[in-house]
Amino acid sequence: MIEYSQSQNSNANGGEDLSFKVIGVGGSGANVLDRLALEGSDDAQLLVLNTDIRKLSSSVSSQKVQLGATLLKGMGTGGDPDLGKQAAIEAADEIREAIRGYDMVFVCVGLGGGTGSGAAPEVCRIAREEGVFLVAFTTLPFEFEGARRMEQAKDSLNEIEGYANAVVTFDNDRMGELIVPKDGVTQAFAAADKIISQSIRATMNIVSKPGIIRIGMDDLLTALNSTNSRCLFGYGQAKGDNRALDAVDQTLKCPLLDNGKLLNDARNVLIQVSGSDSMTLLEVQTVMKELTSHLKSDAHVLFGTGTDPRLGSSLSVTVISSLDGDEPEAASTPQLQREVAPVTPDPIEQSPLAAAVTAAAAAAIGEATEIAAAEREAAPVEIHVEQPAVATGETNIVQLEKEEEPAPVEVAQASPAPAPAAEVPAAPVEPQPAQPEQPAAEYSTPAIESIVQMPQFSAPEAAQEPMITNPIASAVQEAAAPVNVQQPAPAEPQQPQAPVQQVAQEESAPPIGEPHHEAPVPAAQAPERVEAQTDQAQTIALSRIVPGQTTQRILNRPPKEEQAPVAGTPKVTPMPTSEEQLEQQQDILHLEPVQSKGRFAKGDPTIIDGEDLDVPTFLRKKG
Amino acid sequence: MASSNIYAGLEIGTSKVCLVVGEVRSDGALRILGVGQHPSAGVRKGEVVDSETVQACLHDALVRAEERSDVEINTVFLSVSGAHIQGVNSRGAIRVPDGEIGPEDLDEVKKKCREVQVPSENGFIHSIIQHYYVDGQAKIVNPVGMLGQKLEADYHIIHGIKTRIQNSIKCVREVPLEVEDIVFAPVASAQVVLDRETKNRGALLLDIGGGTTDYICFVDGAVVASGSVGIGGDHITNDIALVLKVPLARAEKLKVTYGSAWLDGINPAEKVPIAGEGSETVDRLLICQIINARLNELLTLINNSLAFDNILGKTAGGVYLTGGSSLLTGLDDLVSDTFGLPVYKGGSSSMSGPSALFENPQYATPVGLIRYAQLLNEQRPRAGAISKIGRKFEKIFGLSR
Repeated sequence: MIEYSQSQNSNANGGEDLSFKVIGVGGSGANVLDRLALEGSDDAQLLVLNTDIRKLSSSVSSQKVQLGATLLKGMGTGGDPDLGKQAAIEAADEIREAIRGYDMVFVCVGLGGGTGSGAAPEVCRIAREEGVFLVAFTTLPFEFEGARRMEQAKDSLNEIEGYANAVVTFDNDRMGELIVPKDGVTQAFAAADKIISQSIRATMNIVSKPGIIRIGMDDLLTALNSTNSRCLFGYGQAKGDNRALDAVDQTLKCPLLDNGKLLNDARNVLIQVSGSDSMTLLEVQTVMKELTSHLKSDAHVLFGTGTDPRLGSSLSVTVISSLDGDEPEAASTPQLQREVAPVTPDPIEQSPLAAAVTAAAAAAIGEATEIAAAEREAAPVEIHVEQPAVATGETNIVQLEKEEEPAPVEVAQASPAPAPAAEVPAAPVEPQPAQPEQPAAEYSTPAIESIVQMPQFSAPEAAQEPMITNPIASAVQEAAAPVNVQQPAPAEPQQPQAPVQQVAQEESAPPIGEPHHEAPVPAAQAPERVEAQTDQAQTIALSRIVPGQTTQRILNRPPKEEQAPVAGTPKVTPMPTSEEQLEQQQDILHLEPVQSKGRFAKGDPTIIDGEDLDVPTFLRKKG
Repeated sequence: MASSNIYAGLEIGTSKVCLVVGEVRSDGALRILGVGQHPSAGVRKGEVVDSETVQACLHDALVRAEERSDVEINTVFLSVSGAHIQGVNSRGAIRVPDGEIGPEDLDEVKKKCREVQVPSENGFIHSIIQHYYVDGQAKIVNPVGMLGQKLEADYHIIHGIKTRIQNSIKCVREVPLEVEDIVFAPVASAQVVLDRETKNRGALLLDIGGGTTDYICFVDGAVVASGSVGIGGDHITNDIALVLKVPLARAEKLKVTYGSAWLDGINPAEKVPIAGEGSETVDRLLICQIINARLNELLTLINNSLAFDNILGKTAGGVYLTGGSSLLTGLDDLVSDTFGLPVYKGGSSSMSGPSALFENPQYATPVGLIRYAQLLNEQRPRAGAISKIGRKFEKIFGLSR
């Protein structure tokens, strides 16, 4: 997987890091940004959008855009979302200009008011049109603000969910609960802003910083995927001999985790542990052990670890998840991911079996030659290769994922079917292009572009890494009835590429037909969004979208697992280092924290004014 | 109503479980019939952390108390403590509809006062009336029957985390003993340590126990501040054990034998043996410094929490010390120095029975519970708002000989 991340960088960004932009919309969005700026955000560019010129001018962000300069003349919207929307549309060009060229955009907005509720969906739409990966952090109003504002907020949230790749929702009422009622209002809001800014920062770190076990955007999506967009977020950072446990403690103390209780309900949990080079394997184990004890036994843990020299001697733990909402059937999005999640583990285990099965099926047909087998393998490889490509540059296609997600299985089917057919590396690509051509003649040009790209990826990679095939093969088996495979199989060796397409369409009508239908759907959607844009923009968007489709399917199957088998070699490298670290670490005793509390060590601490009064006063004052 | 009533007061402290049985005679005099106590385990910082162990201790104390007093105990008054308990002052105001203030108006204004903002997990333990105001006229003790349009009241409201208090009650009920009422520990202690005159002059009661230090402050006969800090004598012992690296039992002994809270007059050259005769020695001054540092911090903390409305300036009656840790040498000097007030060591007063009992500050709280029960009972027959509360206590007479 190390290779994977490298190739990702080089492909998508010419070796540069991902670039981030954080956009605060409305008053509360600006507050979060101020907080972010206050804590130093070297990674991200900050942009504030507001209708109210006074608030805008008081923001410390580096870049500001006034919404509705002519419409509202520098005043607020007075709580009217329609005005907010108009204002955003008026400033659309400026916003677009500011977003262009960034890989990932975070939009923070406090919903319920005019500017936030009205402008945020517009901003999200523009961002998506620019093809960025979009994460929205929204806060819902307090209940006491009234039903109407809540309604405005919900409407706006629905719209935003349509555009954003991921939405993290904080409930103000809940934030209120978490803060000591005695605290001043300023403190309460500052705490809320801080939580949001922390989660933005953690998200940025997770996807941008290199990792030994890397967590990518796909993991993030899985973790955040749920019908209930309320997010669980915990972050802890600690230093000292006992930093692992201290960091976990802090993480669990994060208000949105409710002392870890809420983790119990989480289905997919993303955990990132990072530290500098001094981080030991033992510490990582400790953290994971502690955290997983709060999880359901069948929870899906997306684990990542990485080193970041900037952390110095401290160790940081980030937990991201979402609460389970209604039943999975309720929304299409959760369905997809959940289905995917179980599927993922299977392929790994079954991969050998799967290969065997396919081979057996082929044998039964009597037409399975070794060549055919090789071809099949090659076919899955393509898909894998594409995944990294997607993850790298263009995480943009969230919607596509959601809509298409049922497709993973079908895609898998499709891919094996063509795969055997294709003797030449280019061949596997063909079935996919075929689909767009038929249904979506209009978009033929972009489709062709995408096709051109596809073979490039697939051909070399397939040749290099035949190993990768296993998971896909297994998936294929599960998904595709043996019949499908058989039908194309005979056709493959005999016919050249061009005929293969036709054959595939005609002969394997049932299996291939499904993928065809779905494939066009995403293509059609993509253009819809793009319509408003310039020609240039269109081509860009489309070219991204096409690989994206494949990517999404790939996303379903967690990348880790593919990597696991593939990464046999890279895996070996990190292991010895960690063991070395472990040895070095062993002479340090973790038993006692620096300040001892004796018999009070296990109880609730008595903390007043930030001092732990259970530690002897004599020792504290002397120290 | 019986001519004499017998009550039992139960304190589950960090260092001991203590059950006191007392009789209130028809003339109002209070006589202690017997005490049962047992060193406590499973209590940390005034709160029950191991219910089963506590029940075992409680059962022992109960058997002893019943033996000595020759009374079968069914219901008790339970004192509660713990750092989660806090006191706040709240003022409520209502408009009197018919121009004359009736008992129902007092209920109404009390309800208003209880609308004070407390954390959602907290429940009210006491709502203690301070004063009423009628149309701006201050410090009215009983406004019933007065004419007025606007009735205001100052209440002191003591609240704590509901579940923790319920856990204490549950623990006692499983013994089984019925809990008649719960009382915040210093409220009970104040009933016997401070007399009416002292309360009127203004006084601060400090109950320094094993796991917690509770305080209550009276000004003009009304409670103006109360609270609990999760620090007590156990912390001192723990500090000594940690600094000198000796076992807790030894540290306790060093504290009791050689400890002093006040450093003046301690000979810097004086050495004391750490672990008995002939063992390694340590400067006595060091032990005292450890104690002094801890208590100084504790008292400063309490002093700071009383630093509003100049209430310490209105407590002419001085500071009354009670609780087991108040027996520590030199504590009065330190307290006097911190608060700038005269200091008294308070035991219980004006009752008959074994004098060793009520003179010992360790028993102030459980004995105070008896007095509290008595007062509650006295108030009950009185008409008015209190009768409602009193009705709840009709079952009180479950105690029988």
